[in-house]
Amino acid sequence: MIAGLLLGGGFLLLAAALTGIVFNHGSKKVWQGVLWLVIAAALCLLIGSLQIFFGNPLDISLWNIASGLDIAFHLDRLASFFVIIISLISLCVAVYSLGYNNHISSNERANLLSAFMAVFILSMIGVVASANTFSLIFFWEIMALSSFFLMMNDYQESFTQRAGIYYFVLTQLSTVFLMLMAVVMYIQNGSFALSLSGASSVIQSLVFVLAFLAFGIKAGIIPLHKWLPYAHSASPSNVSALMSGVMLKVAIYGLVRFLMDVLSPEMWWGVGILLFGAISALLGVIYALKEHDLKTLLAFHSIENIGIILMGIGLYVIFGLYGLDTLAMLALGSALFHSLNHAIFKSLLFMTAGSVVIAVGDRNIEKMGGLIKLMPYTSVIFLVGAVSISALPPFNGFMSELMLFESFFQSFSLAESSIKILLFSVLAILALTSALAAACFVKAFGTVFLAMPRSQEAASAKEVSKSMIIGPAILAVACLVLGLFAVQIFSVAGYSFDLPDMSLVGLVLVIFGVLVFGMVRLFSPRKSRRSETWACGYVRPTPRFEYTASGFAEPLFQIFRLIYRTRHYNERSYEDNQQAIFKQGKSAIHTIKFFDEYIYLPVAGLFGRISRFISRLQDVDLGSHILYSFITVLLVILAARWLW
Amino acid sequence: MSWNLVLYGFINTALALLVSPLFISLIKKVKAYAQGRVGPPILQTYYQLYKLFKKERVYSYQTSFIIRLTPYLSLAFMMVASLSVPLVFIPAADPGLGNIILFLYLMVMSRFFMALSGLDAGSSFGGMGSSREMTLSAIIEPVIIIVFGALAYVLQTTSLFDMFGQVRENSFLSNPSLILTGISLFIILIVETSRIPVDNPETHLELTMIHEAMTLEYSGPDLALIELSHALKQTLLMGVLLNIVAPWGLASEPAAGGIAVAFLAFVIKGSLLAVGVGIFESLMAKFRLFRVPGLFMLAFFFSFITVIFKFLA
Repeated sequence: MIAGLLLGGGFLLLAAALTGIVFNHGSKKVWQGVLWLVIAAALCLLIGSLQIFFGNPLDISLWNIASGLDIAFHLDRLASFFVIIISLISLCVAVYSLGYNNHISSNERANLLSAFMAVFILSMIGVVASANTFSLIFFWEIMALSSFFLMMNDYQESFTQRAGIYYFVLTQLSTVFLMLMAVVMYIQNGSFALSLSGASSVIQSLVFVLAFLAFGIKAGIIPLHKWLPYAHSASPSNVSALMSGVMLKVAIYGLVRFLMDVLSPEMWWGVGILLFGAISALLGVIYALKEHDLKTLLAFHSIENIGIILMGIGLYVIFGLYGLDTLAMLALGSALFHSLNHAIFKSLLFMTAGSVVIAVGDRNIEKMGGLIKLMPYTSVIFLVGAVSISALPPFNGFMSELMLFESFFQSFSLAESSIKILLFSVLAILALTSALAAACFVKAFGTVFLAMPRSQEAASAKEVSKSMIIGPAILAVACLVLGLFAVQIFSVAGYSFDLPDMSLVGLVLVIFGVLVFGMVRLFSPRKSRRSETWACGYVRPTPRFEYTASGFAEPLFQIFRLIYRTRHYNERSYEDNQQAIFKQGKSAIHTIKFFDEYIYLPVAGLFGRISRFISRLQDVDLGSHILYSFITVLLVILAARWLW
Repeated sequence: MSWNLVLYGFINTALALLVSPLFISLIKKVKAYAQGRVGPPILQTYYQLYKLFKKERVYSYQTSFIIRLTPYLSLAFMMVASLSVPLVFIPAADPGLGNIILFLYLMVMSRFFMALSGLDAGSSFGGMGSSREMTLSAIIEPVIIIVFGALAYVLQTTSLFDMFGQVRENSFLSNPSLILTGISLFIILIVETSRIPVDNPETHLELTMIHEAMTLEYSGPDLALIELSHALKQTLLMGVLLNIVAPWGLASEPAAGGIAVAFLAFVIKGSLLAVGVGIFESLMAKFRLFRVPGLFMLAFFFSFITVIFKFLA
């Protein structure tokens, strides 16, 4: 029954993909049909995976290609948890897309977009459910390619092209690492099984490093993150929602699966994961602060949140090695719960950001403003997302960060003082990160939605269609429910953590809120009037009076100027030799893109030089090519002789 | 949930709300004396809140529901936060209300909406206030977490209820590092309540405005609610500091006599602390905005080193 539901969901997705690709003609009906199929599939998968999560594991063997080479699924509690994430978000994104796809440049493209979306969702579920490394790589690569196609929807734009190159190169690199890992495991096991029992510590560590690189690139861990901000802002917003909300979590799933079931962790792995998490979290939010492109800003927050999730995973490894099982479970619980929560509020934010971008026609937040009056529903939903991602009670982001804070605080039972000092340093970074995230979302919400519109386009923005509101609204409700009833949900699933009962806090909040409101209503006059904003007596304020996003972030920019390093560029020319009479000049300040300029471009340059050298060998006449072939054949024969 | 807890909730919140304006007045009075003025009467803040409650509201044309909602949210969140800090007696059962992180983040939630409302009217003053408030609160956050982390580590619990209970049983003399965290808690109190040297609550001058700039667009009962929630926040932070460093008088069970004594003790201790804050403010000069992070760094290293000493001991 459950297997039927899940397989049915899978085949519905396949049918959706085929429909979109085969019947690709310029009618709205096609992509609408595809999206309805996706919605139905997501519902089936959601129900099925919920049943597995609260029930028993399930094995499905789909297709035995050759002996030892089969596509098989194993759905246990961990896998089904991630299937829940994927199907819940896919459901809401599909609903949102019913409205959003109207704004895609042509119906043909919308058809392909919806079809590849179905492929993408199917492949992510495949990765999560895979029972062996062969099907893991198979689905991983389909996931990489389908997301690449989705991302390239606006392929004529030069920005998208550049983002596409970054994404393609890095995602293929990730697959290469995954394949290397599978090869090492195959040599060790003699099969594609997802296990590594009896392997030596060196092999274990090698597999861990390869897996960390493969999954780390996909998760956008700094310094492997460079594709992420480009890809998320170049994609259509529904795709960004899926990529950021779900695809990053698939990478997290891979990491957790390997650490839990496959490998036997060592201390330096845990410390490494923790440190990479801390760096990603802090730099992610610091880069987000200076960002004015709404979608890039959200993308950097994805890096931040992946960092927070990694901190939880790192703590899980460390506590597990010290034998503190309850604490390890708390840390892992925080990582997994935060994965779910981040998936929910980040897709919500990307979807509402997409609505805003469509309404204003620009991704630059300095051109927005005042949208709270023009787009009331979208703005309230975005506000819920902003509050959740800033980890404020009583929403879901708070609960998972609370669990992480608790696991840090309770590390006092650890014995080793060097680890404790490390944990306290990382704790400080976590605190800074979460406070900066709140600052960044005050900036984002304030600039986009509050005060007066900063451009003509923003002033004439209109609320988006119903489905573009319903999609993210479902997630907004989920944010509140998961925040208020987290403890209850954990206890139903069989975990009892010592956490505050947020439903009680919510109840008290409502009581106090009503009390305060009632007192004010009863005892104060209800007189109110409207007037101009006070601006030292000036009576006609304009948007130019408002604080800009750059102005808002400026104090933080000053404080963190070590990280935001700038390059000043001055050019002057004079009328005379003594340089007394100024003729003209040009000045510019650029923020240095550290990772681009010091890591990515040098590496790319090196490969460029190597390939230029090789191409020189290639660019010769026929005779030389025959010579090459001759030498190759000779070498092969000699090698064969030597081997056998 | 027991009736004991419900009783605690209402008594604690009501008493906290009742004394909050008193401490604000006291600080003003001390500062006035230091400047050679007579100063306002001790009950002035109460009169002022009453007066504001009876006045009309003025909203800017540009504002949205954010500025109307924030006063209620701000006070309600602060009142929930007040449940985390037992001022007169510590309830036996803790359903997690005493959790430190919950307490801190409830206060952040209130600030988040304050900062949004600062941006709502579209004036540059409000924006300036929001921006500075969020900046300073972001960089003080690691200090706060490390200080509370140190407390959690020293007292082996993450619940404020348990912490206060332990300190009351055996005074801080058994744990000298509590005095050190007390100093950090004092710095946090100064920063979080927007006082000199970080902010100046007296002026409405662009150069010094942080907290006051965000409240510029408020009027009438809304302003009263905002000021009350600000005063409540100060009382709560004072309560944390007092219960850690000077836990004398805190009742052990909800008996009327004990509560009365504990309340009286808290008012006296709080008044002394308020006088101390007033003197501290009078002695200090306002820092330049970009010098403030330096102060925070100092507080951070200070509290961090406390923790490290504790680890190595």
